[in-house]
Amino acid sequence: MQRITNVIVKELRQVLRDKPMLAIIFLVPIVQLFLLAFAITTEVKHIKLLVVDLDRSTVSRHIVETFAHTDRFNVVGYTTDLREIRQKMRSWQVQMALVIPSGFGGQLQRNLKPELQVVIDGVDGNTAGVSLGYARGMFTRFGMDYAKERGGITQFVQRLGQQFMQVRPVTTEERMWYNPDLSTQQFMIPAIVVVLLTILPMMLSAMSLVKEKEIGTLEQLMVTPLKRQELLIGKLIPFLILTYVELSIVMTVAILFFKIPMNGSYILLAFLALLYLFTTIGLGIFISTIGHSQQQAMFIAWFFMVFMIMLGGFFIPIENMPFALQKLTYLNPMRYSIRIVRDIFQKGSSLPFLAKDVIPMALFGFLIFTFSVVKFHKRIK
Amino acid sequence: MSSNRILAIARKEFFHIIYDFRTLLIIFIMPVMQLIIFGYALNMEIQRVDMAIIDFSRSTESRHLVQEFSGSRFFRPFYYEGAVSGLDDLFKSRKASVAMVIPHDFETRMRTGPDVPVQLLIDASDANAATLINMYCTQVILNYNEGRGTKTLVPLDARSSILFNPNLKSSYFFVPGVIAMILVMISCLLTSITITREKETGTMEQILVSPVRPSEIILGKVLPYVALAFADASVVVFIGLVVFRVPFNGSFLLLVALTTLYIIAALSLGLTISTRVRTQQVAMMLAQVATILPTIMLSGLVFPIASMPKLLQYVTYAIPARYYLLIVRGIFLKGSQLAHLLEPTLFLVLMALVLLITSVRRFSMNLER
Amino acid sequence: MPTNNEIAVKTKDLTRKFGRFVAVNSVSMEVHRGEIFGFLGANGAGKTTVIRVLCGLLQPSAGSATVADLDVYSQSEQIKHKIGYMSQRFSLYEDLTVEENIEFYGGIYGLTKGQIRNKEEQIFTSFGLGPYGHSLTASLPLGFKQRLALGCAILHDPPILFLDEPTSGVDPKARREFWDIIHQTSEEGTTVLVTTHFMEEAEYCHRVLIMDAGRIIAIDTPHNLKKLHQKDSVQDVFVTLVRRELEGRKEADASYV
Repeated sequence: MQRITNVIVKELRQVLRDKPMLAIIFLVPIVQLFLLAFAITTEVKHIKLLVVDLDRSTVSRHIVETFAHTDRFNVVGYTTDLREIRQKMRSWQVQMALVIPSGFGGQLQRNLKPELQVVIDGVDGNTAGVSLGYARGMFTRFGMDYAKERGGITQFVQRLGQQFMQVRPVTTEERMWYNPDLSTQQFMIPAIVVVLLTILPMMLSAMSLVKEKEIGTLEQLMVTPLKRQELLIGKLIPFLILTYVELSIVMTVAILFFKIPMNGSYILLAFLALLYLFTTIGLGIFISTIGHSQQQAMFIAWFFMVFMIMLGGFFIPIENMPFALQKLTYLNPMRYSIRIVRDIFQKGSSLPFLAKDVIPMALFGFLIFTFSVVKFHKRIK
Repeated sequence: MSSNRILAIARKEFFHIIYDFRTLLIIFIMPVMQLIIFGYALNMEIQRVDMAIIDFSRSTESRHLVQEFSGSRFFRPFYYEGAVSGLDDLFKSRKASVAMVIPHDFETRMRTGPDVPVQLLIDASDANAATLINMYCTQVILNYNEGRGTKTLVPLDARSSILFNPNLKSSYFFVPGVIAMILVMISCLLTSITITREKETGTMEQILVSPVRPSEIILGKVLPYVALAFADASVVVFIGLVVFRVPFNGSFLLLVALTTLYIIAALSLGLTISTRVRTQQVAMMLAQVATILPTIMLSGLVFPIASMPKLLQYVTYAIPARYYLLIVRGIFLKGSQLAHLLEPTLFLVLMALVLLITSVRRFSMNLER
Repeated sequence: MPTNNEIAVKTKDLTRKFGRFVAVNSVSMEVHRGEIFGFLGANGAGKTTVIRVLCGLLQPSAGSATVADLDVYSQSEQIKHKIGYMSQRFSLYEDLTVEENIEFYGGIYGLTKGQIRNKEEQIFTSFGLGPYGHSLTASLPLGFKQRLALGCAILHDPPILFLDEPTSGVDPKARREFWDIIHQTSEEGTTVLVTTHFMEEAEYCHRVLIMDAGRIIAIDTPHNLKKLHQKDSVQDVFVTLVRRELEGRKEADASYV
């Protein structure tokens, strides 16, 4: 017992003395939090639009105005030369071109259902798809407004009556549960918490143990009465403390600054975090047994992390992945912890609802931790 | 500058790298795996969303509506016999992501009007998914309406043509991105580590006693990593071209030239970090924060820069990958030429010059201490 | 020269293999209590491996060994309480102060705060580390790091001390002072096993064991060795013996041709 305390004291001293490391432990998560919270958005705004108005009628000008007035689109140029479209897209000046063919206005007046053309840069498939959706929506709205205005209200209703006969169209009323403002941050920040719960303990434990290996103190310690498990406990307790401190800081910022609603129980969160830490610290210990230098350890840790993050449902929804990959995610402990933390924050879920994810996570934690500790013991001999 | 000395240092550094088998393995495997994941997994469509149907009407029409959803590959509807209040539990246990409530007078309202609203209750914890679900629901209902003969009153038509990536394949977008990412990883991260490592272990002093000049040291140390970066990038390009069939429409020469420029810029960044840092641990962490993380998050790799808050957009100007992404995506997918890519190229040149000069100067100053 | 019959360390046919490579080949020896026992040999001769087996860092592949009458196979945990170890790399925490290193290792060995403080005083005075108490270990000159490492190894007054190349990289003056300290501890009854490849240090030992390619090629007092081989220094004895071994091996290889 005394020996463990000695190790704890030593670790704390070393960590507290390492000012740059401290800064990193505390500042980095905050920086990451801000970066991720603000940068991650799949919303599409300020699409660079090139207007190719070959008609130059009042109607075409109206259409252009509707596009110019929304902040979804950003008109960056006007031209009559179709070749400019490709050139400007090549130099990334333009993402979408709106082409109004000549005679459009006239044809519209005569009810000939004229055609507008949209040319879009398909390189970023996601943005392209969404932009196209926006554009079509705006055309539809413009078209309906035009018909209403032009034909007068009575004609409109007449035609409505003619077309609809006895059948009315189904419409929808949507309610967004748990997140009426559709804030991405609400979704991302709890996941960021999990990422931090992963990065910090894994790296700390891996690098700290490898460092002892590297400088030779591990060998020195093995000659002393200090048992391996005592060394581990002594090292892990400071890491746990640091992780919880970081967790508290991040959550404080998240709740106070970002105003993320926390609908669940803090205690439950703290407890489940502990379960998850078995996994991440276990991985850190495992990495320290297979890496020979701090640099290697860091690389391996990084490797694991990148995978856990990418296949964890962090920014790529698991449901959207191809089946094979989805199955793979079942092996990723982060998949479960992200779900759990998100649900606690957003839905206020309690343990029974989370059981589906808590059990595998706890199981993983137990397995990985035990395996790594055993491996750590088995060294050298 | 003696090329002999430079080569000698380069050779030693090269052996360091080769002997570190594990790191090497990771350097080559990681991008491949990232390619696979980004290429196949990162797609923003929804699939097989579980939809709970609360049908108070239970009429032929309502069943038709539900069938429309069953027929769509986006949804997996199932009937839920409970009350609306039970939906909270349903969402919490993730049995459904959306619920559609059909009112009991569904059929009658269809005939007498004025409208026929159904309620869509969406689990919006994932805001993006929720928006998509909403959009797709609306689309399915639109199809249903059109199938029943209600026509929308739009007097115009719209035709779209998609350039450079007609099938909107995500792999086209991400493969060049992975190239940018590895290049940064290797250039920046490893150079920062290797220099701080020598500082830490003190072998730096031994080199200093020899007639080697600081600039030669840097060149020699950095050369193998440039080679490694190119090797790694080539693997990615190969896989991209062969497995993902990403088109290559531009000039190969231009790609190599500008990639070299990018590598230099990233290397200079790595050097700058290493001249300011004393221990390896800090070097690594700093490299991660200052290079890799911003490269993934802020360079336009995944998330569009234009959608970020203004302040963050200014920050992105400092990230080399931001410019390189325009270059590499332009060359591969659009056949962009130098004239088109002048702006990002100039930025990279500026960055490389500034960082290189300051870091070499700092490096010499450090050594003199 | 201690003439008691108490055996502090004893090995019989001790062997340690790494795969097919035999690092320690059937080594048998006895070290008396209070002796300064030197292991000489070139790098790779196996001396460090023997020490590591005796310390409990490695398990023997074959043969037996006892340290302080405790069996290396079954009682390695108890052995750890009775030995002190100083490695080639000194194995100190560079980012802790001298005091903190002492406090740490003292605690690991189960000493109370009072005991630690006493030992600290002793170490400060006899090793001259006093003025460095609050300094970071990283800032110490190499000679003082060496002393600190030794100090940490003897905090718990172990009856047996293992020193693996304790004077590597240290200047001759510091090396001599270090050996003075070793002599003093030996006189106080501690058994000291030292490995070194500095031949002149062999002269300071009570007995030396010369190893080559994992086997013992000589084991006696420096005086006897010099007399037997009619050389003036242990170094010359070493060179002669090793050369003999080398030729012996060449002949053995040649006889296969």
